[in-house]
Formats: sequence, structure tokens, C-alpha cells
Amino acid sequence: MKTRARLPRLVATGATLALALSLSACGDGDGGASGDDGKIHVLVYGDATNKVEKQLVDTFNKTSDVKVVLDTIPGADYQQKLQTIINTPQAPDVFFNWGGGSIKPFVKAGLLLPLDDFIKKNPDLENKFLPSVFNNAVVDGKPYGVPMRGTQPVLLFHNKKVLDEAGVEPPKTWDELLDAVGKLKDEGVTPIALGGGDVWPTQMWFQYLYDRIAGPELFQKALGGDKSAWESPDSKKALDMIRELVDTGAFGKNYDSVKYTNGGSVQLVAAGKAGFELMGSWYYSQQLTDHPEFAEKDLGYTAFPAVEGGKGDQANVAGNTNNYYSVMKKTKHPEAVAEFLKLMYSDQFVKAQMDIGNLPTTTNTDKFIETSGTPEYSRFQYDLVADAPSFQLSWDQAYPQKASSDMHKAVQQFFNGQLDTDGFIKAMQALPTE
Amino acid sequence: MTTQITSARPASSATTVGRPGFAWALPAALFFALFAIVPLIMVAVLSFMSWDGISPPRFTGTDNWSRLLDDPVMLKSIWLTLLLTALGVLLQTPLSIVLGVWAAGHQRNRAVLSVIYFIPLLLSATAVSVLWRALLDPNFGIPADAAWLFGDGNLFGEQATAIGVLAFVSTWQFTPFHTLIYQGAARAIPQVLYQAAEIDGAGRYRQFFHITLPQLRNAMITSMILMIVGGLTTFETVLILTQGGPGTDTTISAYYMYDKAFKGFDYGTGSAIALALVVASTIISLIVVRVSGYDKMRGSAEGVS
Repeated sequence: MKTRARLPRLVATGATLALALSLSACGDGDGGASGDDGKIHVLVYGDATNKVEKQLVDTFNKTSDVKVVLDTIPGADYQQKLQTIINTPQAPDVFFNWGGGSIKPFVKAGLLLPLDDFIKKNPDLENKFLPSVFNNAVVDGKPYGVPMRGTQPVLLFHNKKVLDEAGVEPPKTWDELLDAVGKLKDEGVTPIALGGGDVWPTQMWFQYLYDRIAGPELFQKALGGDKSAWESPDSKKALDMIRELVDTGAFGKNYDSVKYTNGGSVQLVAAGKAGFELMGSWYYSQQLTDHPEFAEKDLGYTAFPAVEGGKGDQANVAGNTNNYYSVMKKTKHPEAVAEFLKLMYSDQFVKAQMDIGNLPTTTNTDKFIETSGTPEYSRFQYDLVADAPSFQLSWDQAYPQKASSDMHKAVQQFFNGQLDTDGFIKAMQALPTE
Repeated sequence: MTTQITSARPASSATTVGRPGFAWALPAALFFALFAIVPLIMVAVLSFMSWDGISPPRFTGTDNWSRLLDDPVMLKSIWLTLLLTALGVLLQTPLSIVLGVWAAGHQRNRAVLSVIYFIPLLLSATAVSVLWRALLDPNFGIPADAAWLFGDGNLFGEQATAIGVLAFVSTWQFTPFHTLIYQGAARAIPQVLYQAAEIDGAGRYRQFFHITLPQLRNAMITSMILMIVGGLTTFETVLILTQGGPGTDTTISAYYMYDKAFKGFDYGTGSAIALALVVASTIISLIVVRVSGYDKMRGSAEGVS
């Protein structure tokens, strides 16, 4: 190739490159206008409750000039997707979260809109919610979230028919549970269904046993940075009890291959192949969607059994306090967003949530309980939460998000025996607490 | 065609052919620069920073790298990656050679079966993984109906079986692609070779081992490089089928990168793993190219005509 010919070509290359770059820059500008298309984008965790959110959006869009668009992200990937887009032009205007630790990093980065102004104009945005729940989304003294689903205590669900056939009563204490496990095993069913493939269902057993045995203080201490809490005798006792339960075959052998999120463990209970499943209160609506006949006839539920001699109050619950809508500072339609959030304490919202078995935490909840689609279930949850001295937020939501992957690994490895007690304690101590 | 490949031209004569200038490569080069080189440079820079995706990134020198070197999970992930890649090559190569040579025949039934067999390749790896995860559910899937083979069906709960599932699923999906490569190559083998062998009294198997296999050498190298690079960058199957579990037992390097960056929100370390993967894949491909003599591009039909 001749040298002379090279120079013009190089120039041409440079020019084309510059052109292409400016083109792609234009593209960025266009793509970034997602918040500017005259609509409010609401990002929600995708599951069975979405039908209520869709109804509310439809109601809102009937009267509002600014339309709301509901974007759902399938459950397992929600947090990754959110963290990836939240500081980009593709970020939504309003998004679903778990309050507390899950929004703290976003508040610190100055991405969220404090809701004081909304509340000043319309005090109902605060007054219509139970304070203990509303306060879970207060960060550094300012409110950043409006409760938008129901409270989700974790309950021990069971298949009434399976328990009857094995001659088992729903257990009130840990010993009764162990006894029930033995009887169910003799019947040839898996005593407790567990979606170990998702790992967070496994973690629920840790949350409750630690709370029953040591009280909520142990976990608060560890989360506060005092990692010696994990080495305490109470911690070891909780781990021993988990070990014992796993080793007696309470979960069968293949729990790590079963998932909750693809309906595997749900079907196990519905089909009568397992007796119990420990799951958040959303389990009821999941069963109602997947296996309506079973849910109406044979789905039973109790609180987590008491542990004799435990230091924790045996009426405590663990789970998710509620979910919240938080608002991005960059939203172009704050007035419309404020209007939309009003729906979260409307009668329509409360009724629709209750119809699918969720329990809203608004002040008008109580008067709708008896007329809800599932009055007994709603009443049970409401009393359980109202009477609980402490509500332990799910471990992986209480810790910073970045700790959740390592926490899940430790939980799974302790359950399947890859980690012993000391190994688990070390793994928990290695988690970042801030 | 044959004559062009076989006659060894003197190097100087190549310039007289009038090959197109650099301008012809420009669109591809630009595309590559924008979407591969630029991001790669950014990843390299990011690997020396600490960034959680929200607050501004900070330079931390070689912190990410030195932590990775001491990380037992990282070390394990490299071995797992190599193991999965090797399993992929060992399982897929013989299968696809046999299938490819078989499919090279022009019979109608072979054409029909080839088309059916080709279908898995048309599905996305994600869809394939979701499908197999559902099919392998221990209580309601295949293992429940074939307990004699799967025992308690805890395929995803133990390292050996979890790796087995991963290797099987990628074999199921990608063998058709490599079959296609071998089918094409087998059809390009000059018939005269077989005719001559037949006259010399060589049977079917001798023909296969002494003509077909040697003639497929270049196709084999192509397919193996693709398998190795594909194996080193496997990701979706692990994400959907095992999520690196149980524990970290199937956490291959590409998944560990995702785990660090998008679950642990430590994009710096994630970038460092990504860069290490790029370097490793490049080196391995180079070695394969060198060792196999692929770079010399010798024709396989020398002396035929």
C-alpha cells in the first residue's frame, strides 16, 4: 500500500468516527428522555400483587392528563436492575422498595425526593398510615417512602389434609414441630417444603430461630457493627437447632434443587407432597393464583412455633414490614406523582389488596377486614402484627444490599453442610454492615 | 476453487490481485472500536477503581487485583471454568463430528432429522436454561419419573451433578451448531478420495478414520476455538440453572464477575475479573491457533487434483 494514500484515509476515518460518536451522543439524548415522554414510569417488583397495581394505574389514568406506566421486573432480578438504572436517564420516576436499608444508599447519593413537601400539602400522605410502618421508610429524619402493599409477616403454612392424614396438629412449639416432622416423614411426605434454590426462603428459618432464641437484640447488635454477637452461645444454639432440623430430614434431601420462584415448592404443598412451608404472607395470594381450589379448601396457617426457654418474645414476627413507593428527585411531574400516591390509602386500594390476601397498613384497614375476600386470614395477620412486640425485617433487607449475595451463600452452605457452625459465624462476621 | 487453494502462489503475487483497501474494513473496524475496544478500555480503567454504581468512582490503585489474587472463590472459579470448558469440548466434539458426517449424506430422512436437530440452536440460552430448570424439577420433572437414574433428584444440590447439568445443557444447545460446521466440511471432502480408497479396498471405518477425520482437521480447529471461547464466557446457563450454587460450587469466573458487580455492587472487582477473563481467553485462543497450525491456513486438499 502506498504511503501517500494513507493520509486522506486516516482523515476520513477520523471524520467518520467523530460523526459516529456524535450520532451515538444524539441517541443517548433521545433514549434518556424516558422521564420526559409526558408519563410517569413506576417500577414494581413483578409477582401476583401486580394486578392490584394495574387496577390502581388504570383508575389513575382515567382522570389524569399525565399517564402512569407500570414497569414490572421479575422478582429475582429486581434489586440488580434497580441499582443498575437508578443513576441513569432510564431511571423510573417512582419505584418499589423495602424501605430502611434498601433505600439508604440512594438517599445518601441524593437521588430521592424527600416527601415533606407532599405531606405539607396533603397531610393524609402520612396520617393515613400506621406510624410504625410509615417510619420504616424515614431516613435521617425525613420520609422517603409511602407504603404501597401490605405488611408481610412470615407464617408457617400447611396443607390441612396432609396434616390430618398424618394425625398432626398445627404445631405451637418447636418440640411439636419436630414431632410433626417425624410423623409426616413416616407418612412418606416431605415434612417441610423449601425452595432452597432461591436461598432467601432458607434464610427465613434463621431469622425466626435467632429471634425466638436470642430476641431481636442479637441481630441488631450484629447489624450495628458488633460482630461478636454471631459468636454468642445463643447464636450457636440457634445454629444447632437448625442443624438438627435439617439432619432429621425435615426438608427432604433435594430442597436445593427446588425453587419457590418457579412454583416448585408451592406445588409441593398444594399437591399434598409436603406438609408445611415457611413463607411470607404473600404465599396465600400465590396459592390462590396457582392452585385456587387448594387455597380455598386446605391451606392452613399458623405463627412460627414458640421455642421453649428462648429469650425472645415468642409473639415476635419476622418478615417484610411493608413495601414502599419512593420518588426520584429528577421526576418531571411531582404533582402528578403526589396525586398517584394518594391512591395508596384509598378504599379501592385497601379492598383490592385484601381481596388477594394482602394486609395494607393504612388506618382504614381495620374497617374493611370483615368485608375482605379472606376475612379470617386478614384478621389473623392483623392481630399477629398488632400484638407483636417486635417485627424483625428480613435479614437480607436489613443488611446493605451488597451483603445479600454473601449472606445467601453462607445460609445455603450451612444448611447443606458445606459450612459448620464456626464457618457460618465467620462468614456472617465478614459481611459489610454499612 | 480447488485450483486456487492448492497452487501455492508466490507471496508477491498476492498484491496483484487488487485487494480492497482499508476503507472496506472501515465500517467493521469502527463498529468494533466503538462497541468492543472503547468499553474494554473503560473496564480496564474501572478495574482500578472502587465504584458501587451510585456514588462517584474512586481510584484505589491495585486493591481490587490484589484482593482477587487472595480470593479462594476466584481461584476455584478459574478451575471450574476450565473444567466446564474441557467438558464441553470433550462431550461436543465427538458427538458433533459423528452427527455432522452422518448429516452430510444427501438422503431425505437425514435432511429432515438435521432440521429437527438444529432447533435447540434457534432458542436463546436463557429460554433453554429456564426450560431445563423446569424439566429437572426433582418433584415434578423428569427426575421424579426416573428415580432409578436420578435417585432423590437433587441435581442442583451437589457439585458433581450441578456441573453435569450445566455441561449437558450446553451440549444439548450447541452440538447442533458444531454439527453444522462438520456437515459443511464433510460435504467439501472431494469424492475422489473415497473412490480411490474403495478401489484400494478400504472399508467404511478405515475411510472414516483415514480420510474423513484428517480432512476435517481445519473444521475441528475452528469448532474447538469456538467451543473454548464459548466455554470460557458461559454465563446465562449458570445464572438461570444454578446461580453459582450450591454455595459457590458452580461459580465460574463469568458468573463470579456478575456476582461481584451486580449483586455485591462492587463494579471495580467485577471489572478486574472481566479483564482477566478477556486476557485468559485471548491467550488460550492464541495457543490453540499456534499449536494447531491454524494460522498458517494450509489447505487440506493438497495434491488431490
